[in-house]
Amino acid sequence: MSEVQAETPTVADFARTFRRIQAEIHKLIIGHEQAVEELLSALFAGGHVLIEGVPGTGKTTLVKTLGLALNLSFNRIQFTVDLMPADITGTRVILSGEDGRREFSFQPGPVFCHILLGDEINRATPKTQSALLEAMAELQVTVSGTTYRLKPPYFVMATLNPIEMEGTYPLPEAQLDRFLFKVRLNYPDEGELTRIISSTTGPEEAGIEAVFHATEAPERIEALKRLVREVMAAPAMEIYAARLVRATQPQNSRFVTDEARAVHDEMVNRYVMFGSSPRGAQALILGAKVRALLDGRANIAREDIEHVAVAALAHRIMLNYAALSDGIDAAHIVERVIKSVRAAKL
Amino acid sequence: MSFPSQDRRADEKLGQILGRVGSVRTRLNSLALQHAIFYTLAIAIAGGAAVFAGAYLLSPLAFLVGASALVIIGCAGIASAVGAGWRMRASAVRAAAIADDRAELKGRLSTIVALANHQTRGSLWSYLVEDTIGYQDQFAAARIERRRVSRAIYPLAAAFVLAALAIPISKINHAPQVTPGSGQDDLTVDLEDLHLRPADPGDESGMQVTADAATMRRLEDKLARESAANGEAGGNSLNQLVNRARDMAGHLQSRLTGQKMASEQRLNLRLADAGGDQDQNEIHRAPETQKNRRSDIAGQFKQDQPKSSREIDLPREDDLRHPNSEPSPGANGESGAEANSGKDNPGNRDNSATDRRIQQSGENGGNGGAAHGIGADPDSLFGAPAAPKLGTEGFEIAIEARPVDHGAKGAGHAYVAPKVRAPLSLNQEPDEPVARAAVPAEDRTTIKRVFDR
Repeated sequence: MSEVQAETPTVADFARTFRRIQAEIHKLIIGHEQAVEELLSALFAGGHVLIEGVPGTGKTTLVKTLGLALNLSFNRIQFTVDLMPADITGTRVILSGEDGRREFSFQPGPVFCHILLGDEINRATPKTQSALLEAMAELQVTVSGTTYRLKPPYFVMATLNPIEMEGTYPLPEAQLDRFLFKVRLNYPDEGELTRIISSTTGPEEAGIEAVFHATEAPERIEALKRLVREVMAAPAMEIYAARLVRATQPQNSRFVTDEARAVHDEMVNRYVMFGSSPRGAQALILGAKVRALLDGRANIAREDIEHVAVAALAHRIMLNYAALSDGIDAAHIVERVIKSVRAAKL
Repeated sequence: MSFPSQDRRADEKLGQILGRVGSVRTRLNSLALQHAIFYTLAIAIAGGAAVFAGAYLLSPLAFLVGASALVIIGCAGIASAVGAGWRMRASAVRAAAIADDRAELKGRLSTIVALANHQTRGSLWSYLVEDTIGYQDQFAAARIERRRVSRAIYPLAAAFVLAALAIPISKINHAPQVTPGSGQDDLTVDLEDLHLRPADPGDESGMQVTADAATMRRLEDKLARESAANGEAGGNSLNQLVNRARDMAGHLQSRLTGQKMASEQRLNLRLADAGGDQDQNEIHRAPETQKNRRSDIAGQFKQDQPKSSREIDLPREDDLRHPNSEPSPGANGESGAEANSGKDNPGNRDNSATDRRIQQSGENGGNGGAAHGIGADPDSLFGAPAAPKLGTEGFEIAIEARPVDHGAKGAGHAYVAPKVRAPLSLNQEPDEPVARAAVPAEDRTTIKRVFDR
């Protein structure tokens, strides 16, 4: 068990804690360095993460490992077609008391935890999917007219299986927008795969050491999340983030330079049906603040925003059929938008 | 919790940072100002040199067009340079952003400058200041912007070189453009046989006509008829405008170069013929009479050396008919001399038959006898030497004239280009007008009776 940090964390404390959590996760998770960093960034930025990856790439293992490293309560929901909202949020059931009297009592669902894994969330019906909306956005659950608060930190990680689309319900835009980042888990390369084989087929599995004490973990994480909010953003950086978001929206070519307007018209106006929402700009700034702290800075820079742009914006951009037919994905659009806006003077 | 001493130290460090950013800003703004000034000067100097050289090298119209284009381009260039300088100016935030980029400070300075005046700076403000002050050597003004002088100094130097190259051009002695027939001293023409039309706008040759009012009216009527016949009435206004523009350009060139330009070296054609209708009738006399008449009234071209112009003086018909009228010394006398010479010299008579007479300039110096050679009219025998009448009645207009290969009305005499003046041989002397002598009163009756008979 690690030592307890000071009450008010510093920039150095944040970076050190962050790196340590990373190291613990990578004891089990081979590769996926960027995915792990984005996952932790979303955690400390106060957001939720949508993890997309083919089966067997370690999505569930990643989430489990994170819960172990943070020493936070962890629940997992396997979304299926017949899953009902009450199965997630909880329901009132009749219980018999010691005196024999029966009364309704609220039985919390799996949503009541610190870290929630919604495995293959797109297999549940939209009604069930939307049961997570209130919990994710407002950290509360309302059942039978009674609102129940969730204990912070509350961190939802939902996984998507992109290749099994039959019998699935794609997440609506409103729900996608509530995820701070969308993290992609790609196939490991040969070296990583070799290490995965050797580490998971042996007699011993790597043990995960929790970074925080169980009793103080929520407070420590909340303190680090507050520190992230203290990172300063110059107005120019906020304008830059706003322009990036606006540039993802069709017919907003004025936010790019004249030289890049043709590229913008070619990519955004041609392939994008709907651009990012304002939540995208918030995600950019919050993710950039985490990046700044990791770099030992108390201010965000343009590089920080660009570093998290794909994870923060790609899942908020709806592409049209032309993009699908041409094999254009949202990440590619975001990268082109960054190049277009980068040259613009603030 | 922060202590006052800590706050004071943080403020001192913040002051150091802002001071360095201020010095960066000062240097950037200095360069922006230099950019605007140097480019403005460069454009002005280069443009001025080009206009100056053009004043020597180009014709008036080409100079006018070129100078106008240069002025427009120069104004646009100066506006662009000033605008570029204005855009290059740096506010404190922009100077901090530039310093961030060049020193790779990742937005530290921008954030400090932008949030320095905020009331709530956050708990990480002191950390940001401490962190940034550690990089103070990297954002010194000399490292952010090494140049103290803008690169616009190079265009300015090039402009000076261009201006220096324009000076030798001014020292080249450019001969004035030769107008057609400029080598001629005198040209004898007949108004009715002149083929007149407005000059082309680009035509640099010119002629200045001097005549009395009646003659000028005839000339204007003839010019109008010729223009109407040629279908050029519609273009007169445009031609006049172009001619005015050319004159203006010529004056400007003269001012720039300090010398008379070719466009001012016009041919002065002085006409003296007040008997419009009579003359019109007389022109249709028998060919022999008309020949003599033309010889009588035909004026002469006179090279006006100080003005580099040529004049054609035609005698007034009144002077021919009334001996007491005061003839023009430059007109009557010379035409009389020409008439006499026409009688005496068959060759000159031939020239008179073609209505063109070229005389040496020494013969038409304007000091010829006033009534010399008028001859047969007894009324004009006893006139006193008269002062030139054109001085009070004549006026001048400027028309363009140039040689054409066909005469007026299609059947007239072809216009012969004035010939080059040939010097007199040793055995030749220029015509000297005979001085008019006063006739004694007692002899006048006798002389008149003889001539009447």
